[in-house]
Order: sequence, then C-alpha cells, then structure tokens
Amino acid sequence: MATAISIQGLTKKYVDVWQKQEVVAVNNLNLEVQEGEIFGFLGRNGAGKTTTIKMLLGLIFPTAGDATILGKPMGDNNVKKELAYLPEETYFYDSMTGWDLLDFYARLFRIPEPERRRRVKLALEKVRLQPEAWKRSIRGYSKGMRQRTGIAQALINDPKLLFLDEPTSGLDPIAHAELRDIVASLRHEGKTVFLSSHQLADVELICTRVAIIHRGKLLKTGTLKELLAGEHTEIVVRGESLTNGTVGKLKAVARILEGEGTDTLRLSSDDTEKVAAVIDMVRGAKGHILAVTPHKRTLEDVFVETVRKEDGV
Amino acid sequence: MVPLAIARQTVREAMRRRVMWVFLICGVFLIALGPVFGFLSPRDSQTVLRSLGLAAILLAGLFITIVTCIYLIPTEIERRTIYTVLSKPVQRYEFVLGKFLGGFATVFINIAAMGVVFLVMIYFQEHKIPPEMFKGVLMTFFQMFLLAALTIFFSTFATPVVNFFLSFGIFLVGNLSSVTESLTTNHNPIVRFAGDTIHYLLPNFGNFNIQNSIIHPVTEIANENIFIRNNIVYALIYSAVLLTLAILIFDRREV
Repeated sequence: MATAISIQGLTKKYVDVWQKQEVVAVNNLNLEVQEGEIFGFLGRNGAGKTTTIKMLLGLIFPTAGDATILGKPMGDNNVKKELAYLPEETYFYDSMTGWDLLDFYARLFRIPEPERRRRVKLALEKVRLQPEAWKRSIRGYSKGMRQRTGIAQALINDPKLLFLDEPTSGLDPIAHAELRDIVASLRHEGKTVFLSSHQLADVELICTRVAIIHRGKLLKTGTLKELLAGEHTEIVVRGESLTNGTVGKLKAVARILEGEGTDTLRLSSDDTEKVAAVIDMVRGAKGHILAVTPHKRTLEDVFVETVRKEDGV
Repeated sequence: MVPLAIARQTVREAMRRRVMWVFLICGVFLIALGPVFGFLSPRDSQTVLRSLGLAAILLAGLFITIVTCIYLIPTEIERRTIYTVLSKPVQRYEFVLGKFLGGFATVFINIAAMGVVFLVMIYFQEHKIPPEMFKGVLMTFFQMFLLAALTIFFSTFATPVVNFFLSFGIFLVGNLSSVTESLTTNHNPIVRFAGDTIHYLLPNFGNFNIQNSIIHPVTEIANENIFIRNNIVYALIYSAVLLTLAILIFDRREV
C-alpha cells in the first residue's frame, strides 16, 4: 500500500511580536497515513489538529519539518488537484446557492462545462441534499444542509485524499449518522480520509487507524485493535468445592482478582477460549457461574487515559 | 480561468453590499440634480452640469473603490472562505489577481452607470455629447483603477480600517501633485528629500484631474491626447507594480 501522507518532524511555533512568548502549536510531528485508510486524528481543542491540516494544505507554513502528500511536497499546487478539504466550520459565500457554490469550486479545478454540471449534480446527490434546496441561497440552509454542502464541495474533484475537520460536529442524530455513513462509504471508493474529530464513537466506528495528539505532540498512533488492546472478561463463580484443588486449575487459565480462600471467586481473562474453559471447570466442580461480564475498552477510555497520563493527572 | 472565476464571484459578492449602492445612488442623484443647480446658479448651466457631474463621478467612484476593495481579501480571511479556495489548485497570485479584477469590475460597473447618466444629462442639455466628456470619465476610470490596485496592495497586510486611512490619505496627497512638486525644489535638503519621496514615490493622482480643461474651454492642456495616453500607461504600470508587490506579500502570508 502506498503512503498518502508522510510527515517528518513537522513543527509550528508562534512567537509574539517581541519574540518573548512562544507557543508550540505542533511539536516535531511524525506520522504516516497509507492510501485507502480512514485515519482518525484525535485531540482536544487546541491540540494542533487544524494547524497540522493547514500546514499540509499550504495555508500556513511550518517552522520546521517537512511532509509529502501523495508523493509530492505539501502545499504543491499539482497535488491539490487530488485533495479535498472540509474546514471545521463550513464558511461559505452565503449569498450563493448550493449549486452555484459547487459550480464556483468546480471552476477552480478548471473542470469544463458539461462535465462541471454533471459533477455538481453528482456531488449534491451523493450528500443527499434535497434537490429543492440546490437553487436556494445558502443563507437559508440549516447546519446539516451546510455540512452536506461542505462535503459535496470536497467531492467535486473526485479527490484521492480528503481532509475532513470535524465533519459531523453540531448535527442532529439523523444528519450525524447519515454524514458519518457518507464518510465511511468513501473508503469503499478507495479514497483516503484524514479525519480530525472529537466524535470518538464515530472514529471508532469508521477509522482504520488513529493518532492521538496533545499540546502539539503525538502521543499514540496505531490501529484500533492495537489501541483498544486490554479487553477482558470477568467471571464471578461460587461453590464450596472451589476451595479445594479446582482453584489451582483455574489459576492456570485465568487471573484471580478477588476472593481466594473463600467460596466466591472473581476471575479475569482476555481470551474467550479460556473464559469458556473456566466456565467448564466450575460447572464440572459443581460450582455456580454468578456472572460473566465482558469489559470492552472504548476509544474514549484510551483517549482520556492517554491524555491524562501526559498531563500527569 | 481561475482568476476570472474568482473575479466573477467577487463582483457578485461586492454588488450585494448596501454601502456601495448608497454611494452609487448618491452619485447618480447628484448628477441628475445638475440641471436644477444650473437654473439656480447665476453661472452658466452647462458649466454647472459638467463640473457637478464629473465631481460626482469622482467622489462616488472614490468611495465605491475604497469600500469595495478594502474588504475583498480581509473578509475572505476573516470569514475563512479563503480556506476552501486556497486548498484547491489556486495559486496565490491567481487569488490576488482575481480579487483585483473582481473589485475593479465592480468599480467599472458603477462608474459606467454614473457615466451613462452623466452623458445622458449632457445630451439633454446640450443636444450633443462633446468628446471631452468621454475623456473626463475615462480619466476618472483610470484614476480609480490605480486606486483599486493601491487598496488591494494594502489589503494584503493591513486591516480594513488602516487600509481606509492609508488609501484615502495617499489619494489626497497624490492629488496635491502641484504642492508636492513645489517641495522638490525647496532649499532645505530635508524638505527637498521628503518632497522628492512623496512626489515621485506616491502615485500621482492629480494628473488624472483634467476636469478644468473640460469644463473651461479656455484652459487647455498642451498635447492633450499624449497627456491622456501617458497617464493611462502610468496607471497601468504603477498598478502592475503594486499588484506584483501585493502578490509577493500575500505569497508569504499565513491565512
């Protein structure tokens, strides 16, 4: 799989006029995103997510470091033909209609007329913006409609790589789910998505790999499976016979968390086969299974844990 | 194609600004009032209509140019609409050029509208349109062309308020070319240096004011056509330099 984005030591510092105060927005960021991935870029407000995206798009310039996008230097005008960007807040020319806005953006890609019309229609249909709204001024659009228009403008050039900054924030549950599904569907079209989001549940649902950034520093990166490692199942069992030799056998397949020496044990295992073995053993020893509780780690757990650890909380 | 697409969108946005319409209506109103003032004034009604018309086009054109052009780039940055434009394959020079063309097209439409009203009024009063009237409107047109380039140049690094005072101030000083010229021959070397700097560095807007010779046939400009042609070339070259500087500054600007 080819590399879509390769970031090496990307740094952005803001210094005040008197050169006295320095704010490091992005600190020596190293990251690789493969083609065809939906890559989740997570961080708190002010963590450096938008700054990173803006540097990659050439809107602001890095203090140090470099990056390549689809094999070309960041900010390169040729590579922008293959890119799309949806900013955090969808700021548009409010007086334009949805159709005219997309037509304007298509002109910036130098798409000629019959094709332009086809692309605009296709993009508006894809984001499921009601056709009666196409020729209406954006000023009268709801937040959901604006966001759909935002994604439509990002699709106008049939891009290979999309930078989406909080595409589902502030939407009602139906619009949220629909737009999340649209983003998820991009993967099936072979597109790469760099998704910056606070919606951890969405990221967990649609992303293949994730990076956590905090105060400009990359804290963690990996596949969801790697990050969510640590899932386990707790089993609570009871039986008088458990106090004899059965405990030794149980210890061999699961961890005893609580109750050794009593008739009630709390055990834990991260292997589903071993959980089944524990249950069989307890039943064989005429014991009772009181509870089997799977403990699943969520991305939110991982995110909060990682950020708090960094903050020393 | 890209600068034209940006220019088209810019005209569209600019034409929706109410303040521009206020200046346009004021300008047209003043021109239309010309014959009324002519009857009231003991001066020749023809002179009143000509001077009032050209002055109205100049004043309304001045304010329309400034209020249109000072906001073109800062508004894009402030409203963040620039993100979705510059993240597309748009070179920064194409963006600045598109904004300038759009801004000036807006000014052109307004000056043309006032010019048409003015020429119609002249025709009704004089039953002909003297060619020098076209020259008067043409010179205002190129004066505003230069002013638009100056305003776009400042808008790449200054806020709209600062830009307003800078552009307006330079327009006023640039209109006092006879005063600044006198400073260049001053005995005091410091005053002479300041005079040279102001007179030769700042755009010479005063040279575009040919209203006197148009209104008063006794006042003549020697080689008028060459004078007009040279001023047009001056406006084009000076504007090209300003736009080049604007592009160089904007190319390094973070948005």
